[in-house]
Amino acid sequence: MLYLIKKEEIDIYDIPIAVIARQYLEYVQLMKDLDLEVAGEFILMAATLIQIKVRMLLPRSPLSEEEEPEDPRTELVRQLLEYKRYKEVAESLTDLEERQSRHFARRYFEWEKPYKEKEVVLKDMSMFDLLAAFKAVLDNMPKKLVHEVQMIPVTLEEQMEFLAKSLEGKDHVVFADLMKQLEDRIVVIVTFMAILEMVRTHRIFIRQSDVFGEIWISNR
Amino acid sequence: MDLDQLKPIVETLVFASDVPLPAENIKTLVEETTIEDVQKAVDQLNHDYTQTARTFHIVHIAGGYQMVTHSSYASWVKKLFQGRIKTKLSQAAMEALSVIAFRQPVSKPEIESIRGVNCDGVVRTLLERKLVTISGRGEGVGKPLLYKTTREFLQYLGINELADLPKPREIEELFKEQNANADAAE
Repeated sequence: MLYLIKKEEIDIYDIPIAVIARQYLEYVQLMKDLDLEVAGEFILMAATLIQIKVRMLLPRSPLSEEEEPEDPRTELVRQLLEYKRYKEVAESLTDLEERQSRHFARRYFEWEKPYKEKEVVLKDMSMFDLLAAFKAVLDNMPKKLVHEVQMIPVTLEEQMEFLAKSLEGKDHVVFADLMKQLEDRIVVIVTFMAILEMVRTHRIFIRQSDVFGEIWISNR
Repeated sequence: MDLDQLKPIVETLVFASDVPLPAENIKTLVEETTIEDVQKAVDQLNHDYTQTARTFHIVHIAGGYQMVTHSSYASWVKKLFQGRIKTKLSQAAMEALSVIAFRQPVSKPEIESIRGVNCDGVVRTLLERKLVTISGRGEGVGKPLLYKTTREFLQYLGINELADLPKPREIEELFKEQNANADAAE
């Protein structure tokens, strides 16, 4: 409750009940959407807020008019103030803790087990913290990466056939000329593999005129 | 026993003790002295420490005397005890501790009604760290356990007795402050 009041920077002595109640209901709805079991105290608080609002809207019954007209929010304010008092005290205790933590007393340490290297400090968290964390997870989810795997449109055998055909009735073909006919990157690669394969099986051989010169492919 | 004789004895006892040593205990051990003289001896020792620029002094804490190091050298001791120093309390734990300190003996439902949230976890932490203890059972539904603060609590915050704690402001005062602010705004 204080969380919402703080978040909205609301004056706790003049709480706009409708605003707070709407926020509360939004959180309850969010919990429902997430299929969380809605905490009873949340619903209770939302109901209390609505009740207060209703009492503020309804005309007072003649009977209660004689009494001191009381703002229905008084009880809520009293509770919040009570909490605020202790919150303030807690702050001064934290100061004392800080001050004292800088003084070390003599004592026997062997009675104490050393703490684990990294002690996990678990702090209390509210449902809001949890929801905020959940939202952060959703926001930070990596975009899905899809790898499309395509069938290679040519086979090694086909390209070996293609090489053999290119050489048919010729003394040689120039490597660069041969590759120029091919458009697809993958076909170039497969063709190159075909050349290596045919060299390995001694069906063709490769010569080069000089360093960086043309590469000639010839039949054996 | 005169003060010059008493001083080294008090110093030895406080130095050797692992808990704050009440003046009463020193008096019982030494026999021929008074609580006033023990206090005087401690004051003189502290005076000596200041004169000779020692890095420790004797404090009156949790009802007894204890030697502690100066805060200016805290970073070195922290290095020495790395991994063995307890972590500070969370804000939630501190709030629950404040409620227990000022309303003791107090039940968990009462703490929860003030803080507006479940306090199982923080109360357990406070119990584990021996800052609070169970003092009995209260009246009312389910006879809830009652909690109170301990000597370790005083020691932890470096105070001598509960009366030294900062007082919570009265609700009326908070109201007044608010009205004053509102008036100033107008």
